Amino acid sequence: MNKGYIFNIQKFCLHDGKGIRTDIFFCGCNLRCKWCCNPESWDISGEHACGAAAYTVDEVVKEVLKDKPFYDKSGGGATLTGGEVFCQQEFAEELCAKLRTERINIALETSGYTERENFKNLIRLVDFVFIDCKHYDDAVHKEGTGVSNSRILDNIKYLAESGRDYCVRIPVIPYYNDSGKDALSFADLFQKTGVKAVQLLPFHQLGEKKYADMKIPYLYKGFSQLHKEDLVGYAKILSDKDIRVTIGGTL
Amino acid sequence: MVLKNYFGEMTERIKSFRSALLDISPKVCTERAVLATRAYREHESEQVILKRAYMLKEVLENMTIYIEPQTLIAGNQASENRAAPIFPEYAMDWIIAELDDFEKRNGDRFLISEENKQILRDIYPYWKGRTLQDKAYTAYPESARTIYDIGIIRNEGNITSGDAHLAVDYENVLKNGLSSVRERAAEKLKNIDYADFNDMKASYFYKAIIIATDAVEAFAKRYAALARAEAETAKPERKEELLRMAETCSRVPVQGARNFYEAVQSLWFIHLVLQIESNGHSLSFGRFDQYMLPYYEQSLKEGVPREELVELLENLWLKTLTINKIRSWGHTRFAAGSPMYQNITIGGQTADGKSAVNDLTYAVLQSIGRTKLPQPNLTVRYFSGMSEEFMQDCIKMIKLGFGMPAFNNDEIVIPALKAQGVSEEDAFKYSAIGCVEVGVPGKWGYRCTGMSYLNFPKTLMIALNDGTDLTTGKKICEGVGKFTDMQTFEEVLAAWDFTARKLIRQGVILDNCADMVVEQEVPDVLCSALVADCIGRGKHLKEGGAVYDMISQLQVGVANLGDSLAAIKKCVFEDKTLTREQLWNAIVTDFGGEEGERIRKILLSAPKYGNDDDYVDELVVKGYDTYLDEIKKYKNTRYGRGPIGGNYYAGTSSVAANVPQGAGTCATPDGRHAGEPLAEGCSPAHSMDTHGPTSVFKSVSKLRTEQIAGGVLLNQKVTPQILSEQKDCDKLSMLVRTFFDDLHGFHVQYNVVSRETLLDAQKHPENYKDLIVRVAGYSAFFTVLSTQTQNDIIARTEQVL
Repeated sequence: MNKGYIFNIQKFCLHDGKGIRTDIFFCGCNLRCKWCCNPESWDISGEHACGAAAYTVDEVVKEVLKDKPFYDKSGGGATLTGGEVFCQQEFAEELCAKLRTERINIALETSGYTERENFKNLIRLVDFVFIDCKHYDDAVHKEGTGVSNSRILDNIKYLAESGRDYCVRIPVIPYYNDSGKDALSFADLFQKTGVKAVQLLPFHQLGEKKYADMKIPYLYKGFSQLHKEDLVGYAKILSDKDIRVTIGGTL
Repeated sequence: MVLKNYFGEMTERIKSFRSALLDISPKVCTERAVLATRAYREHESEQVILKRAYMLKEVLENMTIYIEPQTLIAGNQASENRAAPIFPEYAMDWIIAELDDFEKRNGDRFLISEENKQILRDIYPYWKGRTLQDKAYTAYPESARTIYDIGIIRNEGNITSGDAHLAVDYENVLKNGLSSVRERAAEKLKNIDYADFNDMKASYFYKAIIIATDAVEAFAKRYAALARAEAETAKPERKEELLRMAETCSRVPVQGARNFYEAVQSLWFIHLVLQIESNGHSLSFGRFDQYMLPYYEQSLKEGVPREELVELLENLWLKTLTINKIRSWGHTRFAAGSPMYQNITIGGQTADGKSAVNDLTYAVLQSIGRTKLPQPNLTVRYFSGMSEEFMQDCIKMIKLGFGMPAFNNDEIVIPALKAQGVSEEDAFKYSAIGCVEVGVPGKWGYRCTGMSYLNFPKTLMIALNDGTDLTTGKKICEGVGKFTDMQTFEEVLAAWDFTARKLIRQGVILDNCADMVVEQEVPDVLCSALVADCIGRGKHLKEGGAVYDMISQLQVGVANLGDSLAAIKKCVFEDKTLTREQLWNAIVTDFGGEEGERIRKILLSAPKYGNDDDYVDELVVKGYDTYLDEIKKYKNTRYGRGPIGGNYYAGTSSVAANVPQGAGTCATPDGRHAGEPLAEGCSPAHSMDTHGPTSVFKSVSKLRTEQIAGGVLLNQKVTPQILSEQKDCDKLSMLVRTFFDDLHGFHVQYNVVSRETLLDAQKHPENYKDLIVRVAGYSAFFTVLSTQTQNDIIARTEQVL
């Protein structure tokens, strides 16, 4: 049986989907965002992640099912996150299929950086998709994340047209995409692609210590953390363009 | 950030009263000691029950009384607020021995004047050999006394103070007045057949009730006179209040109450006098929002503004804070913070399964949310039909960060009580007593929990050491060999089972002996008169007067036992990462040296209770099963004398006992160092639950809760940020509801961690591994964050005025 590399299965997660959830953190990422708060997830073998291990689908499902009474009561379920789930697509698809037979609600958090066909194959198995949009400008996107945004935007467009439940998230990063001009450009982009709802994730430094542990430089040292109230103006620019905006990770 | 208190503001009067009370450095008051000694001397030859009644009369007639300038309710326990009276009949040795140390304690300090020290030294000779402690300790059979001395089983509190741990029938006193109780006793007395031994014995009890109720009446009238006298010189507004107080005190508690004000005053008098009669703690109010409702509605109907009624409640809560108790230093460590555990229970359901929440329920919540004091101890009865509106108000109180309310779950408590023989109707009327434990108000005897404490991990270590205590080197009981000779894990389990049963038996001997002597020496008159069916049977509570009389001991370190068993099974017998000798040497040396620390790490990595891991959770259950099975065999001193029950059951509401019990326990195979605290109640061992609250709930729910009717105590910690948004509060509600509805949990309470705790967590991250905080919409373990982020969270910790 196929094994998946998972670096954490975290119970009682409240901010990545409806209700009380269990987050399954996949190892491996094909982006290298400079502000990443989970740098230990970059390597697919989980080399840097304490607790990373190879799991069978059944092992993950067994762990997820332990909290089923809480999902049932709260409308929660499992959230696949990472790292980047698409780095282990085959495993993710098997896992989702099995979770569906157990009637577990599934949310997916992704960068959206994958081929359209792959994207379609996985999201048809999940109930809700969180997809990041880190920058509207391809060159700047490349500069911040190491990859082009074209596939991502393509997948966002697909989601918007598919009628599925989804949410586009912008991690708002100081001096990267946090200006009023940036907000306006995002708004234009979303109007073009048909995105109606956006969630803003304020920049934080929860991952700072991990950089030190991994002995790699942290580029955002000393930057101030953003709080909900810092993003009110930014949010207004988007909402003035008829886009529904929420701030923070809770749905 | 400063937020407005959701529950509103106290009035100026209440604020001033509250701050005056909080400014007090508690003292020791010797009045009761002197008056009790005088009464005992004077009535030396009387039957004990009569002597107790004369003692109460002497105290109530002569103690100092006063009316605080801010209060609307009269009645004080000692010569000053929050001063602890001395109850010499229970114990004097420790008082005299510790006289000079009361002020020097590092917690629960009490001031005492040289004059008062001398007063106590002067009465000491009279009490030598006459106190409950002297007589009980002498009466302990030798084998049990050895165990008591070493401290594996403790019941010091049971022989050095009164019992309480009950709620009396307040409903009846409020409605029919204390006079109805007196009349019933008088009626019974008329029909006594003195040729019948039992009848003759009952006659003293009835006479005692008449003396005691008369004394309460006289006590109330003293306040009526004082209020009237003070009214003469008072300003007009206060004059009016004092005159109303005078009128009320001349009516209640002797006659029935007619409105909310009279009911509160009547209730306070009774609740107060019971705490002058005896210093037993956990004297509880029962289902306050049910029996007080008719008076509340009456006052509203008469046009009294609701805010005035809420103010009266706040006033009552401040009064509960004026009550104090001094415990020996040894016992103080089991109950840190000199708690009185005056529980008040609200909510729950009616016998027909409808919500019992009413406007008074909200008024209670509101008033306690304003006074925010450690007393009274608020319990909300949860049931599946509880409205979300009420649940959210409870969560708003949790956010205030003073640990209230605690939830008890009807869905498990009611069936558990029925299984113990409580009638369906009474089971629906249960209330919390003290903290977690439950009983039927007005019908249940003393100490539904609160008998002796049994230290589980210490018992395990004795079992593995051939019956000898590692710390003192003393032989405790017959042994079954040494751990180093045990070939299989089954032998380990068998050693635990054998030894635990021996010690459980010794605990019962200690408890029964204590109860026997309490019955002989310090019966309570008024308290017995207010519990059904003492008057009907002509028996005080310790003679078997109560309708129900089931009691529980406290099992301490449940999690440490299970974690230790799991570590032994996994590391020694399955993975073989440690030999028996390696493990044993590490225990004996308290994990000394590099090798010891290495072994400790291996033990720490074994599965731990609180993470929803069946491997260890099943061992916790298995270990506990020994207790549940053995305790069923024993009866208490009231068995066959009238009450339903007369037996023991299990309970884990070990209050602060986990700390001193841990202090006297050697290193344990779960990786715990010698002297470190044990796990509290049925909560996981400190910092061992690393998978969040759902996993803790799952683990706890595997215990045989329906058999642990003495309470399954679970404390959970959260930070205010976790509950900063409404969505989060909704999710907390769902979490708790799942625990109660689907997993049938017994109890949970939340400690919202304060800013101070967060600062301490920065200094000592090793102690706060399970602390979850919320930042900018994300949750994270506090200790993994950078100092900068931690500081940010601390800076943003809400403070509520």
